[in-house]
Amino acid sequence: MRSVLILAVFFALLIVFGAALAPHDPNALNIPKRLSPPSTEFLLGTDALGRDVLSRLLHGARWSLGLAFVVSLISLAIGTCAGLIAAQGGKIADWVMMRVTDTFLAFPELVAAVVIAGLLGAGTWSLIFALSLTGWMRFARVARGTGLSVKTRGYVVQAQLAGMPAWSIARWHYLPALLPSLTVVWTGAFARAILGISALGFLGFGVQPPNPEWGSMLLDARVHMRSTPLLMIWPGLVVVTCVLAINLSGDALRDAIAKDA
Amino acid sequence: MLTVDTIAVKRGSKLALQNIAFTLAAGKTLAVVGESGAGKSTLIAAILGFLKPIQGQIAWSGQPVRSCRPALVMQEPRAAFNPVLPLRRSVLEPVVAAGQSVPEARIKRLCDGLEIKEEILERRPNEVSIGQAQRVGILRALIAAPPLVLFDEPLSALDAVTQKHTARLIRDLQAEEGFAALIVTHDLGYAVAHSDEIAVLRAGQIEEISTPQQFVTAPKAGYCQALRDAAIALGGLEAAA
Amino acid sequence: MSKTLFGLLLRTLVVLAGTAFLTFALLWNAPGDPAAAIAMARFDALLSQEVIDQVREEVGLNTSFWPAFWSWLGPLLCFDFGNSAVTGRPVWPDLWGAMTYTFPLAFAGLMIGLGVALPLAIFAAKRPGRLSDRIAVAIASLGAAIPAYWLGLLLILLFAVQLGWLPAMGARTPAHAILPALTLGLGVAASLTRIIRSGILEARGQAFLPAIQRRGVPEAAIGRDHIAPHAAIPVITVFGLELAFLLEGAVLVEVIFGRPGLGTFLVSAIAARDFPQVQAVVLLTALVFVVSNLIIDLLYRLIDPRIGERDA
Repeated sequence: MRSVLILAVFFALLIVFGAALAPHDPNALNIPKRLSPPSTEFLLGTDALGRDVLSRLLHGARWSLGLAFVVSLISLAIGTCAGLIAAQGGKIADWVMMRVTDTFLAFPELVAAVVIAGLLGAGTWSLIFALSLTGWMRFARVARGTGLSVKTRGYVVQAQLAGMPAWSIARWHYLPALLPSLTVVWTGAFARAILGISALGFLGFGVQPPNPEWGSMLLDARVHMRSTPLLMIWPGLVVVTCVLAINLSGDALRDAIAKDA
Repeated sequence: MLTVDTIAVKRGSKLALQNIAFTLAAGKTLAVVGESGAGKSTLIAAILGFLKPIQGQIAWSGQPVRSCRPALVMQEPRAAFNPVLPLRRSVLEPVVAAGQSVPEARIKRLCDGLEIKEEILERRPNEVSIGQAQRVGILRALIAAPPLVLFDEPLSALDAVTQKHTARLIRDLQAEEGFAALIVTHDLGYAVAHSDEIAVLRAGQIEEISTPQQFVTAPKAGYCQALRDAAIALGGLEAAA
Repeated sequence: MSKTLFGLLLRTLVVLAGTAFLTFALLWNAPGDPAAAIAMARFDALLSQEVIDQVREEVGLNTSFWPAFWSWLGPLLCFDFGNSAVTGRPVWPDLWGAMTYTFPLAFAGLMIGLGVALPLAIFAAKRPGRLSDRIAVAIASLGAAIPAYWLGLLLILLFAVQLGWLPAMGARTPAHAILPALTLGLGVAASLTRIIRSGILEARGQAFLPAIQRRGVPEAAIGRDHIAPHAAIPVITVFGLELAFLLEGAVLVEVIFGRPGLGTFLVSAIAARDFPQVQAVVLLTALVFVVSNLIIDLLYRLIDPRIGERDA
């Protein structure tokens, strides 16, 4: 739990304050110095329009990480509600809810996201919509499973017998039981959202230029692969680092929970 | 008074209980005995309204049982408490739900009667012994002074010494509080020693309802007699016989 | 058993119907005037309202939702995906043509993935917790974090641009398929390694194994008869998951490498707002996923009969 917390705080700081650390305006054009190699002025070099790559990467955190954060939280909310409805609503609600989940799961995530984002028209909102709509199912499955097991536990029966209000039972009995497993799923969802946002950006369906999103930076850099290969290395490296860090802390959290149980 | 009027209860597609009928008056204790799978837990679930009977009625003085705020003491003492909260929070749930103020004096008196220190209520379930947890479970059951308390194998998780002790505490508290007690158990010795009436449950039906005296001296021929003889052979009925 | 099998088939059928409905509803509710977009794509010019209305009627966009849905679903059951809204040609032959590029690529990716993952997982599971295991797991974790499109670009950079060994773009010769298949395969290998490894470890943790070993059964026989079947269940599960990964990975890889196939087909169909084509691709991928999951569920029951009895 602690490693995830530290990581979440670090990413939050990066999202909020990353832009403030940028040495240059991420959109300031500097054509004479286009495609320049790393130097003391431009630590990671400049892109095809002479914009500072480091500044664009730092500003990009707001898009790539920030949007992924929003997407993963929306998925969490939708999935948890769906899962708890399935767990609590009786046999028919459960069956219907799980078939709806199966149906959404049947579409490969990225294919569905590309189609949705592409048809809604490229842009931030359609990106959030597309990735949330394709990312909630794992939360639903886990929330349902945990919900079903919590439902029959002694303390929940006792709380119902005592006549505790439903919100109180949800807050004090369900939430602590759901939190660890949902956090593990959330780390996975966060990592996948980062990959999804950059993939859509790379395909041109995501965040639109001139906003500095990592995937679309990669798309820009691709054209200059022969002359300036470094330009293509940086955004990818940042994506891999973030995803790897999230995945590893998610693994650590899962192992810690497994040891607890 | 608890009235169970010829109910039948289904579990899944199977008939788990049928033709169950008895009454239980305030201050009295009914022990329901039977082997595992006889339908004891189903009976408790039905009385508490977690399962709806497909036939017959269950009522507390003409009202639905849940309206009298009955309490339940569970078989697994620790599982009855939320593992992440201090015991006190769980104990106070019946009081909080009823919108009453915290009865400090009553908690103290019940703790004395149950021979537990009030401080252990600040601990979490895995920080107390099983025996302590079970007594805290009884405390929670009694805190809002319910007229009806159900005990689901209340002693089976405890060791022999603690069992005897806890059984006596329940008996003493009942004398003091005057609640009606329904005790589900497979322990015949306990049923004989601490109840006013014994109902023998077998395969979802009641074989016989009798006083402990009758049960020991002149059980109905067949299953009940075999049950008594087995218990005597195992030394479980020495005290009563 | 027959009852749960019936339940399984019913579930599959409901999910298939659900995917068809979702696919249609999504495209039906897409913003903008699809008829205008189609007319634009077809005639490549700004058009009068009459022409647009004519197009609308022609492609069946002038009715309400349900009639349109039913008239779309009927032919679909005979694998008739309708005609392309843009070219007017039937969708199915073009789609089939795209699939002949994608499926071999996905298969090659899977084989490369297995070829890398199986030895790596066995190597890792030999001494769990030791350095060799940690290194293998670290490689797998790193692999899982690398996005396919970046890996593809790196491979192009290394093998096509710097070394000049392999062609990068297009699909003219078999050599053109090497880099795309490698991109796809390495991604698959990353997740396969982890799952096969934990499958082996779990199977080896079975309570009865020490007893068999003590009886002197040779290691190789134990591995074949007792560990492999237990490790097979998670591996089969993963094949279901990998299939989705392969399909969406193929979409990206095709775009990166400029290969024809489902991915390029889909992206150009979206750009042209060619609804029948988009519907066909989406539905096809979902169909592949659902049917393969059904097969996997049936395989489970073959390997471990207890599974069928458990989930009633």
